[in-house]
Amino acid sequence: MRKKIINLSLIILLAFTCQVKAQKMENRSDHIGYKIGDVATDFKLKNIDNKMVSLSDYKDAKGYIVIFTCNHCPYAKAYENRIIGLNYKYASKGYPVIAINPNDPKAEPQDSFEGMKLRAKEKGFTFPYLFDEGQTIYPKYGAVRTPHVFVLQKVNGKNIVRYIGAIDDNYADANDVSHKYVEDAVDALLSDKPILVTSTVAIGCSIKAQKE
Amino acid sequence: MRILILILMAMISLNSQGQNTKKNMTGLLSGANEDHKVTVVNFTKLETIINKKDNILYVVNFWATWCRPCVMELPDYMEVNKFYHNNPQFKMILVSLDLAKEAETIVHPFLVKNKMDVEVYLLDDNKRMNQWIPAIDSKWSGAIPATVFYRNGVKLDFKESKMEKNELIKIISKNL
Repeated sequence: MRKKIINLSLIILLAFTCQVKAQKMENRSDHIGYKIGDVATDFKLKNIDNKMVSLSDYKDAKGYIVIFTCNHCPYAKAYENRIIGLNYKYASKGYPVIAINPNDPKAEPQDSFEGMKLRAKEKGFTFPYLFDEGQTIYPKYGAVRTPHVFVLQKVNGKNIVRYIGAIDDNYADANDVSHKYVEDAVDALLSDKPILVTSTVAIGCSIKAQKE
Repeated sequence: MRILILILMAMISLNSQGQNTKKNMTGLLSGANEDHKVTVVNFTKLETIINKKDNILYVVNFWATWCRPCVMELPDYMEVNKFYHNNPQFKMILVSLDLAKEAETIVHPFLVKNKMDVEVYLLDDNKRMNQWIPAIDSKWSGAIPATVFYRNGVKLDFKESKMEKNELIKIISKNL
């Protein structure tokens, strides 16, 4: 009997809290951000050397491999060497890697600016690793997880989104990759051919923003 | 008045009897994971588990031990699971996206430590992510946590992002 009453009051309590909170929950909108063919915004973000970096600083670039990544995420870490490899292979061909940490360090302390400096030094990053302070850039791009890649092609001074998605099809084992999505996309752009796979999805860490 | 109380008491006792039989039944049906077992599956196998045509509401949560928001929402999920556990039409399933080689070394100890008596699978199908992520939901970007609700192979709802307990209960009670 007592158990029944406890059960009953729990149900009533739950039902009540449901109603109160229900309205707040409807706020989450569907993904916004760039689609293939959209013009991507430039930005001015602080690099780990404290200097500000913009896409337009790269006068000779044919495009960019913009990668939203971070320090803490195991998926991002699994790809660090491959990101270094991408920059090594494509910076000289006109497609440098621009890495951006989109996470709010208040929500994920490991992704602080100091943490970025440390991680970049440990891994020997050869590309800018920028901090999306105030989290203004990643929502415009529509990045939702780390790592999340946007390949941009410079056309008449505008940066056109050509590929959105994962680096390749096997985060766990770089030696067992069947599709190198980013490389295939950039190779296609460099040889003026259409990109066969323009967007992919992959499991990743959600981008951390502090709840209000 | 006395009659009313009598009727009420009779109803409650009947109801609790009903619940006891239910409890015994679900003990068999739901198979609470007291051994904290982690079963490694590919997506083809997982589909057969979550798309059963048995009239049960499947609440399927994709998570990983390293995923902070996932781990943060798990206590709420466990509480909700405990609450609905006796309902034979309800089943919660956790799908870990940890590495398969870490099933025994990381995921299992995590379940033991957090006393998670829930059915847990580890989805080991990395190279087919581009097939199974859209198969779960066309809007899923792949970020976790994500939760999907099925009955009889029909998707009832999908949420990408951490969910509050009340939102989870709201979706379950709407669909039970």
